[in-house]
Amino acid sequence: MNWEVRTMRSKTSFFNGTLFRKNLTRFWPLWGGASFLGSLFPLAMLLQLMRYGEISAVGRNPMEFTEAYYIILSQVVPIVSLLYAILCAMVVWSYLYNARSVGLMHALPIRREGLFITNFLSGMAMQLIPYAVVGTLCVLVSLACGCLEPVGLLVTILGVLGESLFYFSSATLAAFVTGNIFALPAFYFLLHFLAVLLDWLVSTFATGFLFGLSGSYSGAVEWLSPTVYLINQVDVDRTYEEVFVRDAGSVYGGYTDSVLSAVRLENVWLIGVYALAGVVLLALAYALYRRRRSESAGDVVAVMWMKPVFRFGLAGLAALLGGQLLYTLFWEQFQSGWYYGTLPMLVCMIVAGVIGYYIASMLLAKALRVFRGSWKGVALVAVGCAVLCGVLHFDVLGVSARVPEISEVRQVSLYTADNSYEFYPGEEDELLEQVRQVHQAIAADADYIIQEQNTCNWYSRGMGTTSFHVTYTLSNGLTVSRNYLLPMARDRMAQEGTYDHLLDQLVNSDAMKAKRIHVNDSRYTVNSGYLYLDKRNESLDLNSREAAAVLEAVGRDAAAGTWGTYDWFGSGNGGDYAMNLELRFTYPSEYGDGIAYDGITITVRPGMDSTVSCLKDLGLITDEDLVTYGELNPENYNDAELEWVDPEAYVFYDPERAVDLPAGAAAVTVG
Amino acid sequence: MIEVKDAVKKFDGFAALDGASLSVPAGSVYGLVGPNGAGKSTVIRCLTGIYRQDGGTVRIGGEDVWENAGLKARVAAIPDDWYYFLQATVRDMMRFYRGFYPSFSMERYEKLKEVFNIDEKKTIRRLSKGMQKQVAFWLALSCMPDYLILDEPVDGLDPVMRRQVWSLVMGDVAQRGTTVLVSSHNLRELEDVCDHVGIMDHGKVLLERSLAQLQDNMVKLQVVFQDGVTEVPAELPVLHASRTGRIHTLIMRMNAEEATAKLSTYSPLLVDAVPLTLEEIFIYELGGADYAVKDIVL
Repeated sequence: MNWEVRTMRSKTSFFNGTLFRKNLTRFWPLWGGASFLGSLFPLAMLLQLMRYGEISAVGRNPMEFTEAYYIILSQVVPIVSLLYAILCAMVVWSYLYNARSVGLMHALPIRREGLFITNFLSGMAMQLIPYAVVGTLCVLVSLACGCLEPVGLLVTILGVLGESLFYFSSATLAAFVTGNIFALPAFYFLLHFLAVLLDWLVSTFATGFLFGLSGSYSGAVEWLSPTVYLINQVDVDRTYEEVFVRDAGSVYGGYTDSVLSAVRLENVWLIGVYALAGVVLLALAYALYRRRRSESAGDVVAVMWMKPVFRFGLAGLAALLGGQLLYTLFWEQFQSGWYYGTLPMLVCMIVAGVIGYYIASMLLAKALRVFRGSWKGVALVAVGCAVLCGVLHFDVLGVSARVPEISEVRQVSLYTADNSYEFYPGEEDELLEQVRQVHQAIAADADYIIQEQNTCNWYSRGMGTTSFHVTYTLSNGLTVSRNYLLPMARDRMAQEGTYDHLLDQLVNSDAMKAKRIHVNDSRYTVNSGYLYLDKRNESLDLNSREAAAVLEAVGRDAAAGTWGTYDWFGSGNGGDYAMNLELRFTYPSEYGDGIAYDGITITVRPGMDSTVSCLKDLGLITDEDLVTYGELNPENYNDAELEWVDPEAYVFYDPERAVDLPAGAAAVTVG
Repeated sequence: MIEVKDAVKKFDGFAALDGASLSVPAGSVYGLVGPNGAGKSTVIRCLTGIYRQDGGTVRIGGEDVWENAGLKARVAAIPDDWYYFLQATVRDMMRFYRGFYPSFSMERYEKLKEVFNIDEKKTIRRLSKGMQKQVAFWLALSCMPDYLILDEPVDGLDPVMRRQVWSLVMGDVAQRGTTVLVSSHNLRELEDVCDHVGIMDHGKVLLERSLAQLQDNMVKLQVVFQDGVTEVPAELPVLHASRTGRIHTLIMRMNAEEATAKLSTYSPLLVDAVPLTLEEIFIYELGGADYAVKDIVL
């Protein structure tokens, strides 16, 4: 007997075939149903190819199949695996959540590692069988079309294996954190989306407190939410070749066509990294199983030390999410200014946080009576909320005033005065320093700007307004982004050191004018343009040659000082020629297919002789088109200061700037 | 032998086992009795490797039970709420057990099929509770275990089937030297099959003895005192006394000879020693541990 026992032990320690087969036969509807649903897609594709007679077409491009595989791998497989992995985990680990079933499995003559490995392999098999079925059908369809491309197929297979391993491993880890089957999917999706959820919550919350902070999502920790990260980062890169297709029916003897010559999956290595992370998660799950107590079946949190994490984590999430919700419902209508009232927000956060704390306590205790002795936890939640509000209210971390040093940044994007700019350290340090100085001046004038933002009567006081949206991409890949709506005052613009003055100096400098039209910037290529002539009510497209000629002429006007000075106070376009001229550029980008697009609207005014002459030379305009908006529509421009009045709209009435309003315009007195 | 020594098992601070110790000699049938919540099922779950004790030792055949697959292959257990897969037939579960227990005997399985007379192709879920219990016995006995651990095993079985099942278990004990640990509330039944008894309460084993020792340590006497004596003399060490007419029924913690000798000093008209049932021993022993003993008809 002893000899038999020892032999059996060594044989069955790590894997049990009976349990593996039992899992597959017990839960066949899951993987069978998934296989059936999945197989519908290649079958539909096959029917479609047969319908259009392409099944036997000679010379079909195999790259198109590879492209389809890669699109599915990068966009579809992460989502399908995310959802399907949790279903597989819920069935193979279901025995852990019932006292009777866990009793049977743990009383069997098999060690925990044997159960773990066997059940994990069963789950992985369930996860992969539908992919194998669908993949086989896809390969058969490819073969039928004579388009099997082995490299693309291999990459796809490895990608599917890697993603399946990662997702099922993460579902397995979630399975060992809880003892309740209903809590399992909740923990799983929390594990996968907690980072982006927290990013959004914290960003939204901080934006309500901190001057200039913009955006409801930073993406700084997106890599912790693999589904989002994989979909955003793994992308299909296509290379096309222009080929001449002979066509006897064509008058030219054929036509030029773009043919897909190569397909590459960008950042595909990320799948490998996540697969390795899956192995780590699996090791963690096994460590949890070794320590797991069978009696935790039914508990929401099965790991003892995670119980306070769950209790206070849920309270914190509730405070952030519920607090903002309560504030929006009950206080936002009383809020003065753009930023949260700290005290009301604190009250809302504490209420929501305490509710979250008690919900967590009830879930942990599996009872509703959890109030006795809970004051310490409640107090801790309240203190946490107060500390967070205090830190943000007083900007203890100096976020509002932070302006990165040039040495820290890799790139700076700026949107202001209706134009976008990109700056690169080492190339334009002087301009970059000017941008930083404007930013510093804005941060220093925060109180003034907030006060002005609350008054909202800038135009009636003869002030202008502009956006200043700056994004610093730091050397470590993180970004610092700030967005301001700035009041622009004439008197301050004359004062040195104010942001108004500094911004005017920056935007209206020759260097920025040149930058606006990308003069001497080899990264940008003008590739097209568009001209709309109001008088003729006619649109004209400019090809790359015409656009380049116009751009050069605008550059000459900029150098002569007749183009590019930004009007902060909106003196109107009555004196501008009645035409809309746009130039479009391409430039290299780190994202997407590697090409980004930019455009600029050129306001053509009398005096821009080079531009006007160029447009004439290109045959795009004649002298008859050179009429101003004021000449074309004199009824809309009847005053030097209030150039254009929409009779349908309300106009603020300022006694000091009283003008004759056109008939039909309503006047509103500003208090 | 099965040996539990100073076992401690806590659930959220509550000690379900609080230093429990018991010893089951090899080849014996050991009855574990105790009130609800005494810790019987917890001991059994520790012995089957489901729970890991927080303190003490739980050993079978000299080996620790926890994560000992080799040892567990020689142990079959029937819990009070036996688990089977939802859609499984008897044959499905047989295949499952056969895949884990190397000593599983198909010959025994086929023989037992005739005893239990259950359609092995029928889904277990559709069988009655008693029949499900029979299936549990069928499979457990087919594993040919050296150790059989049973928690409330005959609940739901009809009297004939109870006798049949016990007969099979006793046959294994006699022929193969199987060691059996059985917990039950059905004390009358234990009395018939056990040769050793342990009494548990509040996570401890209060006493464990052979059945003969246990019965010899306590006596029930029916006494009729002389005229004029209506109450039991206060100096007599009586655990429990009751009276019907002139007949006093006394429970005393001593053997029959000793008790008769003590009573003889009062010149009773009648003294008759009656053997105690295991149920009575159970109740009066636990009465000493503040168990709420009432004059209930068992």
